[in-house]
Amino acid sequence: MTGTMTGTMTGTMTGTGTLIRLILRRDRVLLPVWIAITALLPASIASATTDLYAHQAARDSFAAASASNPAQLAMRGPIYDASVGGLTAWTLGSSLALFGGLISILLMIRHTRVEEETGRRELLASGVIGRHAPLAAALAVVLAANLLLGLLSVPGLVAGGLPAGSSLLFGLSTAAGGWAFAAVAAITGQLTASSGTARGIAIAAGGLLFALRSLADTGGIGWLAWLTPFGWVRLTRPYAGDQWWVLGLVAVFVTALAVAAFALSTRRDLAGGLIPARPGPAEGTLPGAFGLAARLHRGTLAGFTIGFGALGALLGVAARGLNTQLDTPQFRELAATLGGAEARLSDVFFTFVMYVLSQLVAGAALVSALRARGEEAAGRADLLLSTPVGRLRWALSHLVFAVMSPVLLLTALGAAAGLTFDGDVARVTGATLAYLPAVWTVVGIATLLFGLLPRLTAAVSWTALGLFLLVDLLAEFKLATGIVLDLSPFVHVPATLLGSASSPAAPLLGLTIVAVALTAAGLAFLRRRDLTPSA
Amino acid sequence: MNAAVHAGGLVKSFGRAKALDGLDLTVKTGEVHGFLGPNGAGKTTTIRILLGQLRADGGQVALLGGDPWRDATELHRRLAYVPGDVTLWPSLTGGEVIDLLGRARGGLDPRQRAELLERFELDPRKKCRTYSKGNRQKVALVAAFASDAELLILDEPTSGLDPLMEAVFNECVLREKRAGRTVLLSSHILSEVETLCDRVSIVRAGRTVESGTLADLRHLTRTSVTAELIGPAPGLAVLPGVHNLTVDGARLRCQVDSDALTPVLAELARAGVRALTTQPPTLEELFLRHYEGATR
Ligand SMILES: Nc1ncnc2c1ncn2[C@@H]1O[C@H](COP(=O)(O)OP(=O)(O)OP(=O)(O)O)[C@@H](O)[C@H]1O
Ligand SMILES: [Mg+2]
Repeated sequence: MTGTMTGTMTGTMTGTGTLIRLILRRDRVLLPVWIAITALLPASIASATTDLYAHQAARDSFAAASASNPAQLAMRGPIYDASVGGLTAWTLGSSLALFGGLISILLMIRHTRVEEETGRRELLASGVIGRHAPLAAALAVVLAANLLLGLLSVPGLVAGGLPAGSSLLFGLSTAAGGWAFAAVAAITGQLTASSGTARGIAIAAGGLLFALRSLADTGGIGWLAWLTPFGWVRLTRPYAGDQWWVLGLVAVFVTALAVAAFALSTRRDLAGGLIPARPGPAEGTLPGAFGLAARLHRGTLAGFTIGFGALGALLGVAARGLNTQLDTPQFRELAATLGGAEARLSDVFFTFVMYVLSQLVAGAALVSALRARGEEAAGRADLLLSTPVGRLRWALSHLVFAVMSPVLLLTALGAAAGLTFDGDVARVTGATLAYLPAVWTVVGIATLLFGLLPRLTAAVSWTALGLFLLVDLLAEFKLATGIVLDLSPFVHVPATLLGSASSPAAPLLGLTIVAVALTAAGLAFLRRRDLTPSA
Repeated sequence: MNAAVHAGGLVKSFGRAKALDGLDLTVKTGEVHGFLGPNGAGKTTTIRILLGQLRADGGQVALLGGDPWRDATELHRRLAYVPGDVTLWPSLTGGEVIDLLGRARGGLDPRQRAELLERFELDPRKKCRTYSKGNRQKVALVAAFASDAELLILDEPTSGLDPLMEAVFNECVLREKRAGRTVLLSSHILSEVETLCDRVSIVRAGRTVESGTLADLRHLTRTSVTAELIGPAPGLAVLPGVHNLTVDGARLRCQVDSDALTPVLAELARAGVRALTTQPPTLEELFLRHYEGATR
């Protein structure tokens, strides 16, 4: 290594410290909240497991039931050990990796590509900020936050009586999930000039890697799990043999991607991507606000529709063999508590999986629902609204797509699953579309916030959806009951495939009314308030 | 009604900060009106009220005879707006944005569009994300000038333009003026204001401190006089309206209030003049006087 080489390397990193402070300042609320929630979860799940399944016999039968439940296999993989620790790690392993991975992706893109896209980076780069500093600072903060939340979860687990060594391994495995996707986003943030595309590619990669793990665990193709970070975080086997060396795989993966990301950032221009922008038409045919909205939403919608369609097709295939393969007495017991001993295995599977996926669909719908606020924050709404386009028409032009998005996605999901399962498209599609009012309620919440609290719309909407997910997880362990549980719109959706609800239409109608009321209130508030770009 | 904009006693607060504190603004139909003031004086806030983007907390405002908040949609058919910091849709081309805005305003003249694109040297085929600040500004300008709006509201429209493009901009505004359109132009560029504006309003800390033609405003300030005299002029020092008098042998310098010019010249003539230069107040001097002490 020559002197000049070291010299230029330090030069490109100049200002990293300044940028780290800037990121910490901008995310001074988000980071602590995220870290605190994730760090507290494992201990509360562990103690709930201890309460609910106090004796080994109870844990064994729970584990046996779960092992025979294909939905659980798809979401969480096999249970390695039916101890309190083993069950806690199994419950949370996948969820924490998903959650931490998603937040890491959003943070990385926010502090790399978004900064460049909005031109704020230019302002800084003209000062004493080295070429690699922004990426280095974003990576440093996101990796450190993941590590911190992993480590902070350890004391609570140890206090609950779990072995310290395994608890540390579990904490580090949690961190590893976030690390892997921070590295993925580091790459995608360098590839394209659009932050939306960068975010989309990273999330799609996450979905694919998760589907790979699901397939590995439901399809009996165990080795596939070694190919994905979602596999690694459970293959470390905390409380069930502690395979520390698997963390090494994560380290290699993260290092390789980070090095590649820095190499990419050397090879491109500021605000440019590696995939260059092509010239477009000199004249436009966008017929107005709705035409513009269609242009802005179509890419996201098409991407999500294809993604959920593919996911549905995969699920249909996975469900095919289930009815014969897993028809065990334990499963009959489980089915009896859900819908009746006659329930088909595949229907239990679909019911479980759709419940979880409907919340992902809500996430996708939220992306569309938040676009209007994004336009306003960026200052683009100012320009459009200075023309005869009225506020209501502008808001509706975006709302239409937020409302249509779950219709498309749930249909794609259900239809594809039905098609690859037994060709009965209508049955499964009917079950997925039952979630429509629940997803619309989430859209309604975002619209209400858009009218009332423009600056906080995105943050509070995502937090609300996160809380619904959390409530479900807690409900599973009887930590959330009654009113708290009722707050989540998703729990009110009847499981039509299992025929459990006597009158499925009533809750759906109720949710729809709530969604419409929230949306209408949001639009009314929007007409009364000042436009507030985020400056 | 011959005022395109008539605002009186406008008040607007953001939380505890008062952005407008009784601002008055009258823009007559057919004039180019300069809107000036130090940073943070409230120009953009006023413009956003005129556009119905903000709701004033107090005062009255009429735009083209209507209420900018209540009648926003109808009024916007008759105006075009160029913001100071233009942000565009990154995935659209400049040409698409121009046509989008034009269509929304009820169509634009294709011949003018082509001509403006050429004069502003703007490539409409490029994606907006690849435009520089100045080029984004040009997209909004072309869309505004190609529309047949009767009122143009321009908020620091030349802040990203190079001098050549500034000249093109000036020509475009003068052409709009000849066509009888009204222009409200917020600007920090004094030469631009001097060339284009019929009248100006100067605001400071949310209030209008001066309003009138440039000639009116000039009248309020001093002319600098430099002379080489043949004999002494002892009476000068005691004349009212004479300031900063310095005498260096036969050379003399001073500043004179506009209404004191006649007695000063008479006094100089009595002493005998070998050379004389008088300089009208520069706009810079004029504005600096109004801007001074305005930093909040
Ligand atoms: N959305 C907002 N929230 C809080 N304060 C604001 C907001 N918009 C403007 N202000 C404040 O109102 C005051 C007037 O701002 P305004 O943008 O109108 O000034 P300006 O005259 O346009 O200045 P400049 O010449 O810098 O463009 C400033 O003190 C500014 O900080
Ligand atoms: Mg301004």
